[in-house]
Amino acid sequence: MSSKKKVITLRSSDGEIFEVEEAVALEWLTIKPLVESGCTDAIPLPQVTGNILAKVIEYCKKHIGASESEDRKILYELESWDADFIKVDQGTLFDLIRAADYLTIKTLFEFTCQTVADTIKHKTIEEVRHIFRESNDFTPEEEKEIRGKSWWLQGL
Amino acid sequence: MSPLPPTSLPPSDPAPIDHLDRLPDPLLLHILNYISDIKSLGRCSAVSRRFRLLVPLVSSVLIRVDCIISDDNPDPSSSSSSSSAAAVSLPNAANKPSIFFVRFPLFSSLFRSFVSHLLLKPLQSLGFLSSLPRRIPGSPSLSADSDPSAGSSSVTHHSPVQVLKNFSDLRSLCIDLPSGELSLNDSSASDPSSSSSTLLRWRAHFGSSLDRCLILAAASHAKTLSTGLAGSGGESPTVDNGTIPDSFYTNGGLKLRVVWTISSLIAASARHYLLQPIIAEHPTLESLVLTDADGQGVLRMDREQLEELRKKPLLASSASKRTMVPALCMRLWYAPILELSSGVVLKGATLVAIRPSGGEKKDMGLGWIEEAFDGEGEEGDGMYAEAVRMLVKRRTYCLEMNSF
Repeated sequence: MSSKKKVITLRSSDGEIFEVEEAVALEWLTIKPLVESGCTDAIPLPQVTGNILAKVIEYCKKHIGASESEDRKILYELESWDADFIKVDQGTLFDLIRAADYLTIKTLFEFTCQTVADTIKHKTIEEVRHIFRESNDFTPEEEKEIRGKSWWLQGL
Repeated sequence: MSPLPPTSLPPSDPAPIDHLDRLPDPLLLHILNYISDIKSLGRCSAVSRRFRLLVPLVSSVLIRVDCIISDDNPDPSSSSSSSSAAAVSLPNAANKPSIFFVRFPLFSSLFRSFVSHLLLKPLQSLGFLSSLPRRIPGSPSLSADSDPSAGSSSVTHHSPVQVLKNFSDLRSLCIDLPSGELSLNDSSASDPSSSSSTLLRWRAHFGSSLDRCLILAAASHAKTLSTGLAGSGGESPTVDNGTIPDSFYTNGGLKLRVVWTISSLIAASARHYLLQPIIAEHPTLESLVLTDADGQGVLRMDREQLEELRKKPLLASSASKRTMVPALCMRLWYAPILELSSGVVLKGATLVAIRPSGGEKKDMGLGWIEEAFDGEGEEGDGMYAEAVRMLVKRRTYCLEMNSF
């Protein structure tokens, strides 16, 4: 199609303005009704900062159409692109999860959750605490019980 | 992403934590669902109170079974032999928890005499932690005391039933056994000159009893270095005159195929029997898969089939601890030589599609047969799926088998 593609304007929590193709914005279920209603104003996204929104848009632009491709070469290329894309610090990764959840972007949400799950699969308890910024809030008695003979069972 | 009650935190946090940085509970639970692996989940549950409350709500769990404990020779002094839910303590250098699965003897004496001298070593691989002396499983308490190396570092073994006990919302469960039940003894295979291995794969679906099973087998499979036949679709030049080819009878071929079929069905029904307590304790379960690291057998139960078993308990076989196999109607396809597009040649390739006889169950056509091995093969080449597609184009032989 030669006709100019419709563009949607988005405003991040810190006031940055972004423009995305309508097709991309329609994948974000949270704003889909607004886009479909023909809204021309900038759509405010008060829970997503500009730098995270830029990452989200980058991911969705790359994935639109490509995810459904049957071409093994394209899928392989997409996979390695994803692997580079997700090389971010833990804070950014969690921000992406929050943004994908808030905007209801299924592909990005699943991908980021899977990435975090894969990182913690083989981590020790201490390492998981560090990743999630969780404090050890067990009482010494609970700790003893959990660390005991069958700690991992009693922990469940 | 269902809303969760906020987990309460104790007022006195030992370390200053920026709680705004943390993921809310529903998102954390979602991530935990992607972990699946039960041991990782066990570690997670020891992270904090918040984690400990969320882990039992995980709906998707994978259990990799570390060892199989045979119930072949139950020790009267050990209470553990009475149920698969019992735990035994075994000495082990590594102080790590492990998961065991009790496997009952697969073969009654009726089958054992028939089966053992052919391909299968049904009991050989059962029952033992590979790193442990064999004498231990029979009398766990005794050997734990007598072994000086045991010391204080004993490892506790848990059955899948135990480790799943606290999961209240389990929907999808996968149990992975360390190996397939059927050991294929290549030295006695029909073609002793061949160094290639016997192929045996079964895929079964169960409700209260066997719903369907597909078996793909070959006396040998090997990659040929050069063939002029590549792409010919593997059709052998033999004329199909409507009778079973001679090679089917020679070298005990037919008998071998009967053994493959019966062995697979016994293995499948023994696995099914062991799943009962898990299914009974988890009414939320919607998908259950019991597979093995060798990829030999896969038993599946979907939501409807699980529901069927909850309503109508299984009938146990009188011969051993397994589910009774109903009277069966089998369709068999055979190719003396099947050459796949990857250059792999299957000799004596056999496909057996099994369904209970009688009109109770609706006819499913060929669709399920072609789907059973979808995309499966070695190194993801879809070899098995291709073999199935090629075999079903050939002549079908129908067989009936009584309930056993």
